[in-house]
Amino acid sequence: MTIVEAGKALRARQISSAELLKRSLSKITALNDGLNAFLLVMEESARAEASRADAELASGRDRGPLHGIPVAVKDLFLTKGIRTTAGSKIFAGYIPDRDATVLTKLRAAGAVIVGKTHLHELAYGVTSNNPHFGPVRNPHDPNRIPGGSSGGSGAAVASGMVLMAMGTDTGGSIRIPASYCGTAGLKPTFGLVSKNGCMPLGLSLDHMGPLTNSVADAALCLNALAGYDPGDACSVKRLPVDYSVMDGSLQGVRVGWPENFFFDAVDEEVAAAVSAAADRARLAGAEVVPVKVPDVDALNVVARVILLAEAAAVMRPYLHRREDFGKDVLALLDSGQLLPATDYVNAQRVRRQMQADFRQLFQKIDVLLTPATPIPAPLIGETTVEVAGRQEDVRLASTRLVRGINALGLPALSVPCGVTQSGLPIGLQIVGRAFEEKVVLQVGHALSM
Amino acid sequence: MEDWKAVATARGLAIPEEDLTRLLPVMDALAASFRPLLEALPEDSDTAVNFTAEAPEPR
Repeated sequence: MTIVEAGKALRARQISSAELLKRSLSKITALNDGLNAFLLVMEESARAEASRADAELASGRDRGPLHGIPVAVKDLFLTKGIRTTAGSKIFAGYIPDRDATVLTKLRAAGAVIVGKTHLHELAYGVTSNNPHFGPVRNPHDPNRIPGGSSGGSGAAVASGMVLMAMGTDTGGSIRIPASYCGTAGLKPTFGLVSKNGCMPLGLSLDHMGPLTNSVADAALCLNALAGYDPGDACSVKRLPVDYSVMDGSLQGVRVGWPENFFFDAVDEEVAAAVSAAADRARLAGAEVVPVKVPDVDALNVVARVILLAEAAAVMRPYLHRREDFGKDVLALLDSGQLLPATDYVNAQRVRRQMQADFRQLFQKIDVLLTPATPIPAPLIGETTVEVAGRQEDVRLASTRLVRGINALGLPALSVPCGVTQSGLPIGLQIVGRAFEEKVVLQVGHALSM
Repeated sequence: MEDWKAVATARGLAIPEEDLTRLLPVMDALAASFRPLLEALPEDSDTAVNFTAEAPEPR
């Protein structure tokens, strides 16, 4: 079920919010022991919120498309009076005294917050194989990772536990789980959705966005989430946009088809599915334009240097508690401590240069079409994976098509565009110009399967 | 190449020898791929992190 379908049923009085919540809780009861998608289920408060949503609808108050819809948030968003772990032993007992802006906005839109989803430790990794709270499992194959770091959000949406789950994306952490779990996952433009009250990882790279069962649902969520927030120094004042108006036509849209980098080392089934999406774009009226993209390898390196330094800076007060970190996360934090400050500053300068290079690219095209990940979901515990005939680190393989986009701050969406012969989802990435989510969503809506 | 062990010592980082040794090839590879990018960086290029004199509103 999608948010659009649930909303229609709610307004036709075919179902109530309380009944939607009951379905959601039943799914969680049946599936969460196996998938480990939720770290915390907020049953009591969710029941109260659903009851209020029903009462408001009955009295004629309709808060919009998310009214009465069961949703979840990654356990990185602060929740007043409710434990927020960040998937970390360090914060296992942390109870915030305020809500993240995202929570406030979702509640104002009438959403029912069902609980908090599991994640890679500190949102700093792609497997969601968490040493403190156990691995999250992929609903399409429980022996495989759901991706990360928003792995619990991907698994929760793909398994039908909730109709939307919030994720965060610092180096692909919304788009990777969306790709591996077969959901839509939107990383909005940097500054469009407030990061106030979300535990930081990469201060200049963190983005907040929804994972949903359809692109239309993602658009509805963005309508509720977008907007200036004085509590976030990176928040940008923009005129409101209705992202939800879309049809299947791509008439007049220039779709960039990368001639370099993005298909250099990609699984054959993934490449074929993304290529088929480009064919569908042509059929829908788009002009598919072959383009040479700027140096994405360099952009990825720049993004890595920035993230290593920013994450180490954020976690510095806790780094003496070495035994409380997982080995992979600790190694990243140590690397960040070793980096000279000059490298960080210069990475931010190169970033600015590369932003200009991509600006030129996006004068020729409206969106860029790429695979979201070069592979389908790897097995849990796998550290390397074979891609196009060579072994590659799972982390690097999972992030190399998405990470650089965080350094650019551009909107990027992953949508399902097919399945492998073994039944695993394949993700298509659509990257657009800053604050042009509407075009990105329109293309995603037309091309998702 | 940077002497990462000397960097760790100079900064007083409490990274155990075994962990540090594991990081050396990673740090060398990162530096080898990152540092050449600086050669083409114009001297007057600005950073992507901007400061504004207008103080932010309180949370």
